[in-house]
Amino acid sequence: MTRYLVGQIFSFLVTLWVVLTLVFLGMRALPGDAATILGGMDTSSEQIAAIRERLGLAGSLAVQYKDFISGVVQGDLGDSLRERRPVTAVLLDRLPVTLALAGLAFVLSLVIGIGLGLLAGLAPGGPMDRFTTLFATAALALPEFWFGFLLILLFAVNLGWFPVLGLPPTGLSWQAAWHLLLPALTLALPRSAQVARLTRAQVLEQRTSDYVRTARSKGLSPRGITRHIASNALPGVLPLLALELGGLLTGTIVVEQVFGLPGLGATILGGISARDYPVVQGITVLAVVVYIGVNWLADLLQAAADPRLRTA
Amino acid sequence: MGRVRFGAVLFVIVLLGTVFAPMIRPVDPLEPNYRATYAGISAEHPLGTDRLGRDVLSRALAGGRVSLSIALSATALTILLGGTLGSVAASLGGAVDTGLSRLFDALLAFPGFLLVLLVVAILGGGAAQTVLAMGLAGSPVYFRLARSYARSELRSEYVMAAFALGASRPRQMMRHALPNFIGSILVQGASTAATFLLVEASLSYLGLGVPLPTPSWGNVLQESRSFLTRQPWAAVGPGIFLAAASLSFQFVADGMRDRLDRRS
Repeated sequence: MTRYLVGQIFSFLVTLWVVLTLVFLGMRALPGDAATILGGMDTSSEQIAAIRERLGLAGSLAVQYKDFISGVVQGDLGDSLRERRPVTAVLLDRLPVTLALAGLAFVLSLVIGIGLGLLAGLAPGGPMDRFTTLFATAALALPEFWFGFLLILLFAVNLGWFPVLGLPPTGLSWQAAWHLLLPALTLALPRSAQVARLTRAQVLEQRTSDYVRTARSKGLSPRGITRHIASNALPGVLPLLALELGGLLTGTIVVEQVFGLPGLGATILGGISARDYPVVQGITVLAVVVYIGVNWLADLLQAAADPRLRTA
Repeated sequence: MGRVRFGAVLFVIVLLGTVFAPMIRPVDPLEPNYRATYAGISAEHPLGTDRLGRDVLSRALAGGRVSLSIALSATALTILLGGTLGSVAASLGGAVDTGLSRLFDALLAFPGFLLVLLVVAILGGGAAQTVLAMGLAGSPVYFRLARSYARSELRSEYVMAAFALGASRPRQMMRHALPNFIGSILVQGASTAATFLLVEASLSYLGLGVPLPTPSWGNVLQESRSFLTRQPWAAVGPGIFLAAASLSFQFVADGMRDRLDRRS
């Protein structure tokens, strides 16, 4: 296991480095010279040089690259141009809303997805199976934000059960969970469909295997058999869950917009339209690190659950 | 009726509706009518009118043209880009293979929608930029698929036989290996097209897709958000069209996948 761990940590770091390099090059490929655009028409060359310095665009490409990488390693993502304070401070302000929303959405998709997948897979061809297959196909074909519209129309406008927009004036509190439920449900819909599909497929595969036949022939109760099947089928769902959890940090962008929530999504969109490149770059770095990190953790968890996978 | 046939019929209906939109709905989707704003459902306006009195059904049909052509072009681009490079990597092997694989692995390390968003931020909004962004973001999947299919086909006996008869590497690939896996790739393409329809709509919804006032499904839906409570049909109607189109691709993909699986 130790050797496997060391190898995994190494490959994690290599991927991270390649991705950071791509982000660095991508940000330098932005149209026009960021410093000239930000300065506007009547800027003297000294002012442009000063802006360039602040953007980390002074010096040769190699020097910029070194500064960028060492900054990221030290947790320094530069300063926001619009808010005139460190990007990390901006991110820390906005992160809690997105984390709360993503966390709630993930739990919902986990419960709905695994629940439906198990029920469908244990009785293939039955009514639950047909319902789950239909649900999964429909949920994957609906535009996420449109489903959000429908939820707003039905539950917030017509029934008045939920607030329509934004967070309560108290900010993130227990009351906010009520505000976050509709957006979280919107996010959970397509994600739970994918989880349900994969869980169902995994369960179907286990159902016909030899150990299940043996367990059944020696008279194990249906509950016991279900437990056997679940404990072998669920580790196979881990990689998908990790992809979803890791992707949720930026997966909330559209839904935050629909429900008027001030999280990371609103921040990156504001950054793009105001050409606040350090903020866009900072969120990208954060999102990618989390995405790779969570997927990597899932690989480790899966290897911990299944020793056969430790050879890679 | 099988899923494939159902999906195909649904797709043809949506396609015919959008292609022949000017004949079915002679109302100009961009023509405002300030005397009939927020009109309800009537024979004249089957889905009502929006804030500017524009006919919602006309806009939904016209939007489909833009959205479908963007999603289908992006799907073609992503299959071509990922599939070609994947096949090249598999047939050349060595340093080319390692380099290309690393590059596409790095692209896979970005959450999909973020990658599309960043490319559009770099290139600016518009139809061509949207196609390019989605084509790039979708390509790693096809690179991996094509590479692994091509590798296993190139090692099989019938390709060996072609090699023994003196077929060149490109000929082994194009003439012998490719016809045996292109079907599986195209099936995956149908499900990518379904996803791209949704991604294009999301981009337009954020104001980063095709610029207004050109109606695309995303644009029509984005505009409907501001008067969602006054005119729900402006959001519900076009959304159903979009969902039907995406559903049709999804059905074809799922049905074909099951058929291919059963045969092998």
